[in-house]
Amino acid sequence: MDSQINRRNFFKGSALLAGSAGLLVGANGTAYASGEPIPIGQAAPLTDFAAADGVEFRNGLILACEEINALGGVLGRPLEPYFEDTKQMGDATNVQAVQRLIDRYAVHAVINGYNLGSGSAVQDVIADAGIIYMHNDTSRGHGALVESDPQRYFGSFQTDPAEIWYGTGLLKFLKSLEDDRSFSRPNNKMAIILSAGTYASNIANTVRDGAAEFGWDVSLYETVNVPISEWGPTLAKIRQDPPAVIVVTHYFPADLAQFMIQFMNNPTPSLVYMQYGPSVKSFRDIAGEAANGVVFSTVIGALQDEIGLEFERHYKERFGADAGHNSGMQSYNGAWIWATAAALAGGSGEPGNDAQNRKVADRIRSLIFRGVGGTTRFTPAGQDVYSYPGGVDDPSLGMPHQFLQIQDYTREPDLIAPWPYGKAAFKLPPWMNG
Amino acid sequence: MTARQRDITLCLLFSGLAALLPLVSDVRYTVTQTTFFFIWATVVVQWNLVFGIGGIFSLAQMALFAIGAYTTAMLGYYFGTSMILAMPIGALLAVLFSVALGLACLKLRGPYVALLTLCVAQVLYLTIVNDTDCFTNPPSGCMPLMGGVRGFSRFGDLGFRELLGSGFYVGRYYVGLAILTVAMIVSIIVIRSPMGLAFQALRDNPVYAAARGMDRFKYQLWIFGLSAFFTGLAGSFYAVNTGAVGPVVFSFSHLLFLLSMIIVGGVGTIWGPIVGALLLMFAEEAMRELGDMRDIGMGLILVVCVVLMPRGIVGLFEDLVRWRTARTAQAVPLPRRETV
Repeated sequence: MDSQINRRNFFKGSALLAGSAGLLVGANGTAYASGEPIPIGQAAPLTDFAAADGVEFRNGLILACEEINALGGVLGRPLEPYFEDTKQMGDATNVQAVQRLIDRYAVHAVINGYNLGSGSAVQDVIADAGIIYMHNDTSRGHGALVESDPQRYFGSFQTDPAEIWYGTGLLKFLKSLEDDRSFSRPNNKMAIILSAGTYASNIANTVRDGAAEFGWDVSLYETVNVPISEWGPTLAKIRQDPPAVIVVTHYFPADLAQFMIQFMNNPTPSLVYMQYGPSVKSFRDIAGEAANGVVFSTVIGALQDEIGLEFERHYKERFGADAGHNSGMQSYNGAWIWATAAALAGGSGEPGNDAQNRKVADRIRSLIFRGVGGTTRFTPAGQDVYSYPGGVDDPSLGMPHQFLQIQDYTREPDLIAPWPYGKAAFKLPPWMNG
Repeated sequence: MTARQRDITLCLLFSGLAALLPLVSDVRYTVTQTTFFFIWATVVVQWNLVFGIGGIFSLAQMALFAIGAYTTAMLGYYFGTSMILAMPIGALLAVLFSVALGLACLKLRGPYVALLTLCVAQVLYLTIVNDTDCFTNPPSGCMPLMGGVRGFSRFGDLGFRELLGSGFYVGRYYVGLAILTVAMIVSIIVIRSPMGLAFQALRDNPVYAAARGMDRFKYQLWIFGLSAFFTGLAGSFYAVNTGAVGPVVFSFSHLLFLLSMIIVGGVGTIWGPIVGALLLMFAEEAMRELGDMRDIGMGLILVVCVVLMPRGIVGLFEDLVRWRTARTAQAVPLPRRETV
């Protein structure tokens, strides 16, 4: 790996040292990364429809490795990343990719972004090898699996909260908008549009099940086949019975951009909420002006604070102005947590060295890591991350569920919630301004 | 030694050599990737029976594979059935499905068979991925009857973990090798039997074959069902070996990759599918680091093979042997006739 960072440059004005990177520096002491490399792996969708994110996951891991190596690696051993393509993803493909990383490179840890369609199969491969797995599949299935057999799945960590927090977080967010009079509902109707798959349907079901408690009637609950570019039939139903809020839990950026383009041809006075997809730059590139006003949220992303902005600057400097740092931060964050824990545990273990990797896992569980996306703290039972404000009410103890709004499609979206991270106020979308 | 005996002996010899691999190689990657080779080779050997020998342009092979895989996974997931029992059940269900499909499509010819079998596979795929209704609600969230987009995992294994510990993959290797060996021997027996000759006759001169009393429909239905058993069994073993089954098994690119193995190796030859599978899996492995260029590389190999070796590698080899034999025969002077 062509390292572009040295120790001196890294120390000079690095915002991350204000966070938890200091732990690694302390553990490494004066060690320089010159020992035998530690292979670490990533299985990511480097080709096919999710490649835009997959490439950023790879970049995030590369950047983290460069920075960690500049600080002495893990107790003097540099990190060497290897990658496998998960293409269209799904358990069967993901498992084979992770198995290859273990069999071919003997990786000590697998540090992923997300892989869609993931159930629990990869965790079994990891458990068989006795290594560490950090991923962002954003699935409540992960927590349920680890709880079912904590001894076997000791090494699997989901470095973001489960997807169900999207649902509860949204309902609370809408209430907060109404409470501070930024938004008033013209009626109680809510349209929910989802795609096939556990992830999107888990979010949609959580919104649907909790809607009545917040005074909402679900007027439309529609599953669409994806990828989708023709939204006419769905929009016709929305226009026939305009809801106050449209909730889209499908997440492909290009599909969501097409939704907005076609919605803006004849918009209804509805607040449009989407999840994850609009955080990817290609959404704004495709939707253009039609993206203005869209509200979206992500349970993991770079904050717009000192640490987050420094990361963004650094990331774009390294990978180009169009690089998607919000996706890249997922594996970046996971790599830093693992490396810090491995250094504190006295080193990492190769496949089969369960004893050493159990020490690393113990350290990961006990860390409260302040990274570019806020706080990463793992739930003891499920080894996934606490969500703030849905799961905990202290921002220093949970990863913020960020609500953002695209107020000007030519620049990055504005972070509007939660407190204290919000940097801008919510604005009524242009199509609702009369 | 007859041709059939020779081919079966060769097959057993190769299997014996392959059985030594885990003993001489301590590289786990080689062993696990070879296990995948056994799976795909089994599928293409059986597909070759249908396509190359039977002359049926069926694209249902991955659907049969998926039926084996899904049946095994669902039996394990919903009923806790032992994988040793679930695997043959998966294979038998693939046979039933194949025979039903054969009854519907074998009256058709050529591209119509391809279209119908592809349509059936697509209907199965769409039924699975568009099913969002929760059949069960485990802690991990909604689980549609056939697994939906996510599919199934944690449905059981063959017990090699308990038996062999961290070397469990070696046990699976030998299961894969055994399935391929039996599938290959059955394929040789069919090709080198009167049934194989009947197929050759039906393919080369259907009118004459029919005039001699050969029932095309009956023979094709037989081969459709027979090949489905091993294809379904390969699917069942794939599910157990991977530990997960999802709709990716229906992917069109996968289908084409397997079809390419037959074409590159040699359609209708005994050893062609094995050679094609070996070559393309090696090529894919060698180009793994090239990203998108890998697909272009694989495409180039296919184009070069189709243009320069229309009968595939084994076909070319057979042509060369035939040419050399003919040349040798010409070179040997005829015995001089004694004149009285």
